[in-house]
Amino acid sequence: MRNILAKEMKLSASILSYLFIAFGLMFLLPGYPILVSAFFVTLGIFQSFQSAREANDLVFSALLPIAKRDVVRGKYLFVCLIEACGFLLMALSALVRMTLFSDSIVYRSNALMNANPFALGAACFIFGLFNWIFVGGFFKTAYKFARPFVAYIIVGFVSIGVFEALHHFPGLSWLNAFGTDDLGRQLALLACGILAYLLMTLLSCRRACESFEKIDL
Amino acid sequence: MSIAEARGLVKRYPSFELKEASFPISEGRITGFIGRNGAGKTTTIKALLNLIHLDGGEVRYFGKPLIGNENEVKQQIGYSTGTVNWYPRKRIRDITGIVKRFYDTWDEDAYRKYMTLFSLEEDKTPLELSEGMKVKFNLLLALSHRARVLILDEPTSGLDPFSRSELLDIFTDLKHEGVAVFFSTHIISDIEKCADDIVYISNGRIIAALPREDFAAKHSLPGETLEETMLRLEKEAAHA
Repeated sequence: MRNILAKEMKLSASILSYLFIAFGLMFLLPGYPILVSAFFVTLGIFQSFQSAREANDLVFSALLPIAKRDVVRGKYLFVCLIEACGFLLMALSALVRMTLFSDSIVYRSNALMNANPFALGAACFIFGLFNWIFVGGFFKTAYKFARPFVAYIIVGFVSIGVFEALHHFPGLSWLNAFGTDDLGRQLALLACGILAYLLMTLLSCRRACESFEKIDL
Repeated sequence: MSIAEARGLVKRYPSFELKEASFPISEGRITGFIGRNGAGKTTTIKALLNLIHLDGGEVRYFGKPLIGNENEVKQQIGYSTGTVNWYPRKRIRDITGIVKRFYDTWDEDAYRKYMTLFSLEEDKTPLELSEGMKVKFNLLLALSHRARVLILDEPTSGLDPFSRSELLDIFTDLKHEGVAVFFSTHIISDIEKCADDIVYISNGRIIAALPREDFAAKHSLPGETLEETMLRLEKEAAHA
């Protein structure tokens, strides 16, 4: 798997996939829907799918001395790696806001979602949606990516809207915790987000491996 | 000795069907796979490389089915799929740098030898190569890891006569080293020059899979060249 990941990173990937990781730092922006940063990270990954298709990447990979399912696993591994890098920047940004700037007025007067463990869990959920809807959808044909990407955009932005609005609902204001407030419940939601991400990614990868075996390249 | 085998390959497309294609690929022999455009050559080669999902039959290499033994089998196969453009904006050096990581038997000396022979430059990108040079680049990758079987789709198409002749000489050298060479072509003179065996496909059906002499004895009329035989057989098939 190390070789196929190296192939993904050096041959298949678009430079934008790496550059767009930096959007993880948008978690530092006040008065901005910070979950959009997760979308931007996935937009960078989408660019790699686009350039890989133009480079006949999947046929090239399927001809290498690896099982066909490893071609799919390599692609998922690359996607997860980029998402993990994006998540790391988001987590660092959230940590800065939770500690150094926990009492900052700019952040406290923010009507939008605060950067906290719940927001990180929500970002994981958005990443999971990308893997489930877009990457899984792409591997149904290993060619068409417009429809799954549009579907991901719709579901992704509706989810972002819901996550952004939740803390305004009665009894849910704790979702917008500052500093280390409600840390137990916040961390539980982060764990839920990570679990949802893992489930969506693993199930999507398994389904993609099965369909890729049946696709004519 | 048969080193690879197609057994009853069936693939159905809406407008084309590969009909129970069976033939052997023998060690130390060159097999020419011939048929007109659209006869099923590329479909068959894709089946041999597990690029398409078959509706029936199986491909075996070294006595083992390809499905389930892909890693092991593909280590010993070299392939070239004509002028397909891999990573057009990456340098040859970078593409090769990745490919060789996958092969335990990568032969750097052979790589350098064919690089020089094909006049390829590592700093060029596939985008900068002519169609013929792209074919050579694909062949370079196929020939650089001591493959026991070479599966080549139209390797001579797009090549100038000198390069074609050089390539057919390489096939002959490889044959003497025990390599099985299987290549598709619609250029019958290529077959006449070097093939030991002929697999002839027409309209998705394997018409013959025989040593070249046996093919001539069975299908050619007295005094007929291989090219004339093929043209006659195609005409007869069209009128049947």
